[in-house]
Amino acid sequence: MEDSVTVERLLFDASAIVALLFAAVMVLHRHPVKSVLALVVSFFSLAICYVLLTAPFIAAIQVIVYAGAILVLFLFVLMLLNIPAEEHRRDTRPIQRFLSGAGILVFGAMLVALLRDAGVPERFTGAAEQAPAKAGEVLPLARLLFSEYLLPFEALSVLLLAALVGAFVLARREPRGAGS
Amino acid sequence: MTAVDWIVLVLRVVLPVLILPALVVPLTWLERRGAAFIQDRPGPNRVGPFGLAQAIADTVKMFTKEAVVPGSADRFLFLLAPGIAMFAALSTFAIVPYSSTIEIAGRQVPLIGADIPIGILYLFAITSLSVYAIVLAGWSANNKFSFMGGIRSSAQIISYELAMTTAAAGVILAASSFRLTDVVALQQGTWLGVIPRWNVLPQFLGFVVFFVSAFAETNRLPFDLPEAEAELVAGYHTEYSAMRFGAFQMAEYVNVVVASALTTTLYFGGWSLPGYHPHGVVGAVLSLAIFSAKTFFFICVFIWVRWTLPRFRYDQLMRLGWKALLPLALLNLLWIAALVAWRIL
Repeated sequence: MEDSVTVERLLFDASAIVALLFAAVMVLHRHPVKSVLALVVSFFSLAICYVLLTAPFIAAIQVIVYAGAILVLFLFVLMLLNIPAEEHRRDTRPIQRFLSGAGILVFGAMLVALLRDAGVPERFTGAAEQAPAKAGEVLPLARLLFSEYLLPFEALSVLLLAALVGAFVLARREPRGAGS
Repeated sequence: MTAVDWIVLVLRVVLPVLILPALVVPLTWLERRGAAFIQDRPGPNRVGPFGLAQAIADTVKMFTKEAVVPGSADRFLFLLAPGIAMFAALSTFAIVPYSSTIEIAGRQVPLIGADIPIGILYLFAITSLSVYAIVLAGWSANNKFSFMGGIRSSAQIISYELAMTTAAAGVILAASSFRLTDVVALQQGTWLGVIPRWNVLPQFLGFVVFFVSAFAETNRLPFDLPEAEAELVAGYHTEYSAMRFGAFQMAEYVNVVVASALTTTLYFGGWSLPGYHPHGVVGAVLSLAIFSAKTFFFICVFIWVRWTLPRFRYDQLMRLGWKALLPLALLNLLWIAALVAWRIL
């Protein structure tokens, strides 16, 4: 496989690396606010990856929904509760360390197995011009969403609604001695 | 790149990026003189003719003052926040078509930063990021007043973004495209020979919701609770001085310009006028003039409203956003969907 390295390829690699790096920062940083900010950078880099994979619509939704709404909400709650940085505590359960190591290994093996057969997208190999990869654009996506995937799409919205109602029930306190 | 490419680059990218932040100078003058006029006092009238040089003097002052970073602040985030504010404000204008198409050396060049297929979604993505500037500024300064401003702002922007996006969805539906060039194309011509085909007529409700939300999104009175000076000193930018404060100021004015330009484009036909067909360079200049005039009108409305209406209380702001504007925006969307379905629009 001979790739001629394009600017897009370089940009894609750079943003993929940034996304991974900041995802790691998100996990490792001890301050919750900084963790959320690292996740914002990670999501934004991921959006750049989507753009380069000719899926600008997905990229915009990624930024609007995840970086722009959900993480702002996270930040809002974290700031409201004013959670300080976590302290470094001694590990009381060594089994956790072992299990997390094993988890990383299994996940890594799965990733390698999955990616071994997947080639580089045509867009990055220089032979991109004749392959109009339009799956990520608005019109084809909307067609798929409202025909083939209509039922899963609607079921997903019901699932989200259920989560919403559940959160409401959990958070609601029963009024004691109503009126007084 | 050929010479034509360079001309196109300058026209579409360099000029807007240079002109937008420079607009803050005449706009602060306009705002202060307008405020003075409304409040029946002279306003800044000493520096230069009509006090015109006052804004330039203020700019020089901002650049030469000492920029203080509070000792207890989170230095990195404190310095980053004004940068995000400027970045978000300047990059939103990229998808607004500010003039008609011109022909340069046989090439049709639409005068817009980038005519991308996701158009207005890009704009909403960037504005949804701009809230980080305010939240980070409020949080990193380690000051109670700043912090309150940041918290208020995040709640406010999330609430009003929803109404604003839903209102704009009506326009997207009518144009069946996210591109603002298509939105302008839709509004060419007239109904019954006299009424311009502007979106404001079929979607008046959407326009009202959009415009009111724009005030909340730009943190302007009557929704300037993040920086309510009577209770929060200056809100999220209390601790900022010199040009870092200037960056927030500049971002606010650029946001006002973009909001006005967007209102013009979405609801008032953009650069077009009924019965007007632009030709050549003169046509492009005329289109730009029409666009600027319409945008300027809305900027004046922004200033006029700021000095006429009192500030909302916080609970009123939230109630208006969720219980009035959002249902109205949904109603507008339903109405437009019906019009489109019955092929009236």
